[in-house]
Amino acid sequence: MSDDRDMRAADYVLGLHDAAGRAAFAREIERDPTLRAAVAEWERRLSPLAISAPDELPPPDMLARIRASLPVAGESGEVVALRRAVRRWRGIAAASGAIAAALVLFAGERIWREAQPPGVYVAAINRGGAAPALIVRVDIGAGRVIVRPVAAETPAGKSLELWYIDDGAAPRSMGLVGAGAESLPLPGGTRPEKAKFAVTVEPPGGSPTGGPTGPVIYSGDLIRE
Amino acid sequence: MFEQSEAVRLIAAVARGDTTAFDRLYQASAPKLFGLILRMVRDRPMAEDILQDSFVRIWTRAATYAPDAGEPLAWMAAIARNRAIDHLRAKPSLRKVEEEYDGWFENLAEPQDRERGILDAEILRHCLGALDEMTRTCILRAYCEGFSGRELADRYGRPENTIKTWLRRGLAALKVCLDKDG
Repeated sequence: MSDDRDMRAADYVLGLHDAAGRAAFAREIERDPTLRAAVAEWERRLSPLAISAPDELPPPDMLARIRASLPVAGESGEVVALRRAVRRWRGIAAASGAIAAALVLFAGERIWREAQPPGVYVAAINRGGAAPALIVRVDIGAGRVIVRPVAAETPAGKSLELWYIDDGAAPRSMGLVGAGAESLPLPGGTRPEKAKFAVTVEPPGGSPTGGPTGPVIYSGDLIRE
Repeated sequence: MFEQSEAVRLIAAVARGDTTAFDRLYQASAPKLFGLILRMVRDRPMAEDILQDSFVRIWTRAATYAPDAGEPLAWMAAIARNRAIDHLRAKPSLRKVEEEYDGWFENLAEPQDRERGILDAEILRHCLGALDEMTRTCILRAYCEGFSGRELADRYGRPENTIKTWLRRGLAALKVCLDKDG
């Protein structure tokens, strides 16, 4: 690797080019594996800087938007077939009412889990793979959420607020994270197999807006116990 | 974030068209990617479009991910940065920037996701710290905030070629320092 090519790779990774320069360099990368490797090396070297960005929660409907825009070419035959089938059944359901709707429920079960299975779910709320800061246990039968702080660290002069995020819905506050374990009522209409919990840093006393305003410092998905 | 081996497994599953794995990969990484995109474009609707583009690209390019070339999150972050830069360069007139450079270097010491991450971040911090301040600021504003060479030249009142010369000198020194310690 000549120093010049390596430096050009660095310029590209840093993002110095204008639109035309970037497009030309991107075409060059496609043809030149050595240049491509140099770009990958620079991306690796500088990546701690990218990962140092503070987390921000995307809007709750983002995943659904992305899923709707995925090209089908990369999908396995099974998934493509299932998705087409569901689309077809959806059409039939809209046209012919209850019988077809029942068919949708039956046939599309893998994609649309309408029935809420009873049981107990747990989430270890942590900061990316670190030891859990909170353990959240959801008992569907009892209709309770038990929040147990383990090692949650509250920044000075702030409060930590726990949020329940149902798939595709706005985060709902579960209250502030205190020092001891708490038992809270389960929010209505929960679908624990799709839900997650997140903890944000908020002004003292909690979010003034009813939605999260500060950075997410811990999060975790619910899993069936 | 999640265990690295888990992320590698998820990306392999995404490459086979597994949408459940895709959802899990999204849930584990989207806040980090959205955060880094927002830091660059400073506009939520635009950042949402870029996040969407990025995940579509992660979906279509999953088969090209090579675990030995870097960590999964670094690979996804590179995709998100590239999409963000493409958007910024396409509409330079809509650019929103902070007046002053805002401490991304200092934040690099924040706890990272994994032990290896902490080590890499510490080494990078050490090596960036050895550069002169102007060069470091230009590198950080380009990498973290998406400044082009032209935009750096305008901001700091120097010819673009002068900025590029500084940056290349700085990047060459950074590479020597990082490759020695890494």
